[in-house]
Parts: sequence; C-alpha cells; structure tokens
Amino acid sequence: MSPLPTLRDPSEQVNPRARTLWRLETGLEGLALLATLVVGDLVWDAVDLPWWAHALIALAVVGYVAVVPQWRYLVHRWEVTETAVYTQTGWWARERRIAPMSRIQTVDYEEGALARLFGLASVTVTTASAAGALVIFGLDKQRARALVDELTLKADAVPGDAT
Amino acid sequence: MTGPPVTEPPAGLAQEHDWQRLDPRMLLVHPVLEVVKFLPVLLGVLVAGTATGTLTWELFGLGFPVALGLLRYLTTSFRIADGRVELKRGLLNRSTLSARLDRVRTVDLSASLVHRLLGLQTLRIGTGSTSTDEDDRLDLDGLPTERALRLRGELLRAGAGHAEPSAAGPGVGTAAGPVSAPPPALTLDLGWVRYAPLTGTGAVVFAGLLGAVGQVVSSVGEVRVDTTRIESGPGLPGALLVAALGVGVLVVYVAFSVAGYLVANWGFALRREAGSWHVRRGLLTTRETSIDEERVAGVTLTEPWPLRLAGAARVSAIVTGLATASNSAALAPPAPRVVAQRVGSLVLGSAEPLVGGLVAHGPVARQRRWFRALAPALLVVGAASLAVPLLDAPGWVPLVALLALPVGVALAVDRTRSLGHAVVGDTLVARSGSLLRRREALGVEHVIGWNLRATWFQRRGGLTSLSATTAGGRQSVTVLDVPDDEAVRVASDAVPGLVEQFLADAR
Repeated sequence: MSPLPTLRDPSEQVNPRARTLWRLETGLEGLALLATLVVGDLVWDAVDLPWWAHALIALAVVGYVAVVPQWRYLVHRWEVTETAVYTQTGWWARERRIAPMSRIQTVDYEEGALARLFGLASVTVTTASAAGALVIFGLDKQRARALVDELTLKADAVPGDAT
Repeated sequence: MTGPPVTEPPAGLAQEHDWQRLDPRMLLVHPVLEVVKFLPVLLGVLVAGTATGTLTWELFGLGFPVALGLLRYLTTSFRIADGRVELKRGLLNRSTLSARLDRVRTVDLSASLVHRLLGLQTLRIGTGSTSTDEDDRLDLDGLPTERALRLRGELLRAGAGHAEPSAAGPGVGTAAGPVSAPPPALTLDLGWVRYAPLTGTGAVVFAGLLGAVGQVVSSVGEVRVDTTRIESGPGLPGALLVAALGVGVLVVYVAFSVAGYLVANWGFALRREAGSWHVRRGLLTTRETSIDEERVAGVTLTEPWPLRLAGAARVSAIVTGLATASNSAALAPPAPRVVAQRVGSLVLGSAEPLVGGLVAHGPVARQRRWFRALAPALLVVGAASLAVPLLDAPGWVPLVALLALPVGVALAVDRTRSLGHAVVGDTLVARSGSLLRRREALGVEHVIGWNLRATWFQRRGGLTSLSATTAGGRQSVTVLDVPDDEAVRVASDAVPGLVEQFLADAR
C-alpha cells in the first residue's frame, strides 16, 4: 500500500440530463420562494423588506441555480463492483458511502415526477442500518433498471440476514 | 408464507403448540387497569349518578371496564408453532401478529404492581422491527412467572439459532431456571444515588411534578402572590425569602430525582445466563430485559458533563435490531466511571477498547476544534459590544459576554483531548465530544457499511468524518475529523477487502 492511501472517486458519472433536472428543480424552488416573498409583501404586508433586500435574495437564488446543480453534477458519482457499492453525493459537503454486497437488504427504484420528464430514475440501496442508505440519483431509466437487476442478483447470491 | 423451513420447534416450545389463552388471573388485572384508565370518566359518572340519585349509572360505569377486561381476555390467544410466535387479538378488529422464532432478538419481562401481586409477568418479544405502533408489539400480557421465565429461555435459544434445546442443561428451561441463576455481574450500589440529581431523569421527574402542581393550582383557582407583601413583609427581607425558596426547590428536586432513580433502578442486577445478558431492575414495576449475546454489537460509554465532573458515566449496549431510544439496552444505572468501564468490558469481552489509549487526530483536527469553539464565542462578544451603541444596551452586557471566551477555550481544549479513535483487535473505538462525551466500541463484524463525509473546509484540511454504520444503537459510530489516509487505514483494518478496491492508484 502506498504511504498515503486515499479513496478515489467512484468510476461512473451520473447522466448529464440530471444536471438539467437539478437546475429545473432548484429554479422552481427559487421561483416559489421569490413568489412567496413578493406576494407576502404586496398583499398582506406581512414582510416589509426594502427593495434591495429583494434584489439580494433574487441574486442569491440566481447564483444558487447557476452554481449548485453544476457542482452537484461534478460530485455525484457511483460504482458497483462484485463485492461492494460505492456512491458519492453532495456538493458543499461530500458524502461517500460504501456498502458491502453481502449487507444489502433492499434495492429500490424510483422515478420522481420531474425526473420522469427527463427519463431519469434513482436507485436506493439500503442496509440494516438507518444511517446507511446509498442513493444513486440521476440515472438513465434503462440504466437504472439494469442496475436494479444486477444488484438484486449480486446481493441475493450472499446468504445470511445481512445484519 | 413462502415455504418456511419446516424446522421442528425446540422441544420445550411444543407445549405451546395449540392456540391458548393467557393466564386466567389476567381477569383480575384487566378490569383494575381498565378502571384506572377510565377513572376520569368514572368520576364523572359518579357525580352524575349522585345528582340523579340512581345507582344504575354507577353500575354501568363500573361494569363497562370490567366487561372490556373480560372481552380482552377472551379474545386474546397465542401459540408457538411451525417456528413462529403468533398472537391473535381483538373482537371486531381481529389482528394476528406473527414473528419467526429465529428472528427473536430480545425478550423482555415486566410486571406492574398488580401483576406482581398475582405472580404474573408480561413477556414482550422484540424482533428488531422499527415500528413504534403500540399495536405492533408482540406482548404476551399475563403469563405465570415461572412459565414466562421458561418461555423466555426457550425463545432466546430459538432466536440464537441453537436448534438443540440446551443439551448442556435440560434443567435451565424448567422450574429450576431462576433458582440456579449465576451470581450477577453487577448489582445496584445505594451510594450511586448521589448521581441521581445529575441525570436528566431527575429533571424530567421534577418537570412532571411542576406540571402537575401547575395543573392542580389552575384547577383549584388562581393563587395570587402579593408582591408588595413579600417586599415589605414582617421581618423577612425579600432576598432571604428568595434564597429560602431556591433552597426549597433544590431540596424537592434532589428528593424527586433520587426517588426517580430508586424507582427505576431498585434491585438492579446484570446477569449472564445461557448465552444472553439479563438486566433486571425496578421498584414498583419490575423489568427484565434479555439480550442475546450474539446480537451485542458493541458498547457505548456516555458521559454528560454533570456526570463526568462527578466521575460517573452511563454504559449501554449497541444491540443489533434495537434502537437506543427504547433505553432497554442500558447495562448499568448511572454509576462511577470505573464501574461503567468494568461492566462494558465484561460485555465486550475485553477491557482494552474502553480503557486503552486512543490515536489523536492531528493538528488540523485540533485547529478545527478551536475554530468551531471560539468562533461562536467571538460572535457573542462582537454582538454584545455592538448592542451597546446600537441598541442602548447597558454597559455590563459586553462584560458578561466576555465570559463566553474562557468557556470557548475550555470547550476547545476538552474537545481536542476527547477526540480519538483506535482499532483494537476486532473492535472499532471512537471517542468525541465534551459536554456530552461518548466513547463507542463496535465489533467490526457488525460494521455493515462506511460513510465518509467531508465538507469543503474538511476537504481543504485533508479531513473526513468516517462513520461505521451498524444495525443497532444510534445506527452508526462516527470517527470525527480524521485525516483522509488514516480513515482509509481504519476502514481497511476493520473490514479488510472492502475499501481497498476503491483506493486511488497505488502505483
């Protein structure tokens, strides 16, 4: 082993369409936030913010939408080997998760409402620990289906109740 | 059921093969408990009854809970057959709970005062289900004590997968069980009640008491405190009165926390018997928890700051399929640290993980501790100094705020000192925290995955927080802010052959 062993990134990148999906999602969330503020300001006088505060918030939202989905796309990666699943998620805080194939309990496939528009899906691999779910976001539908089959087969090959 | 393995149930369990009712003495318990439950309604009925002057209402009011208890007894039955425990309940809403014997993880016995008077026990079977619904619990409420003990032994053996019913001692399962019990590994030392006021439990009891007093006061009517009378009272100066009141509250608080400690931990005994750990405690309601030894994944030593200053600690087991929230994994009442360490070592099978030295996390982790402790303190001081010119705060406010600095420094020093980890034999050890210091020891075969979390700041400093996930306790054991290469080393030491395949090109 080399003197300073470090983990490398997982080998596979998520589908580039995921970046567009994330942009759309964060954009919609930002718009909803701004709309709430503006409506609150105009209709109910609930929040009484000066115009420059609005401008600042709008700027922050635009910045977030411009930066975060791209950053997330650069961070999100995954890899499946014969004996383990390895995922990397997050942006500011990067979270790498490794689960041995022998400890996998369930493999979930999920298509969100927006994700379906982009033909994307996510695969969640759970272990017996509540702190250990591995989620692979932004996979192409077919790829995700194939991955679920592959994982189910591999996890099934190991006996025991995985706790 | 998709073709369950048709295993013969252990010989002793064959007796429970047919559907059967619980102990008939529950006919006495259920009505009493139901009457207690319906007490507010009953009182109302009683008042209404005396108002109308007839007895019928009162009889109905009393008869209803009794009938309910009878119904509960008649509609509840259980059996142990085909390698499963099954519990049938309900009249209109029939439900059958069923659990496989080899999935039994814990078996708890508890007995309320009424149960104890009648020689009965409630047997609760834990299968590691995370459901918190009361109705999803496999409770056999009301078995004769002797039978409950025997059933517990057999269930635990079945759960541990020991198919042969204790070839070593056929007597263990029978009436001889409680008699031949080995001496306990730990019993309550009455001197430990000195820690009672330092635990959260005391505070909870006290808060409950205050709430109750408040309820009574508000229902009786308003109590007016005449402040002018207090200030110009005859002879007693106000300050003295306040002090007396403070002492009084303190005395009541201590008394209640001690009482709470004793009620919960009276007769505490930890025993190891037939491959399981048994924890028994309780003054009024006795509770006996049994944890299959193979399910003990590790041990946690917890030191909240009041206990730590007094040299005491809590110790609990990390049990596969059991979250700590249920508190049934406690291995000792709050006790001297040495005792907690001894008990923990006994359960772990080795003292080294709880007593031995730990590897420190290096200069960057230390800097992080200092920054994270001092930055909020500086913010407080800054905000307080700005408050004087901006908000017309009195001049002493920034001076008081300055106290945040020494507190911050003390926290930073202590948190740096706490931080450490080790892989001792087949145990992963991690310690961190100051106000709530935790030392966790987890058997490596119970590690079911790794989470490595690093924020941008941590990545810049070459640090990562390494969590070993597990199926029990707090679900993971975290080694905080460990250098990247050390994290990889720990992970590959603990679980060889897993992280190696993801290493950066070793050349």
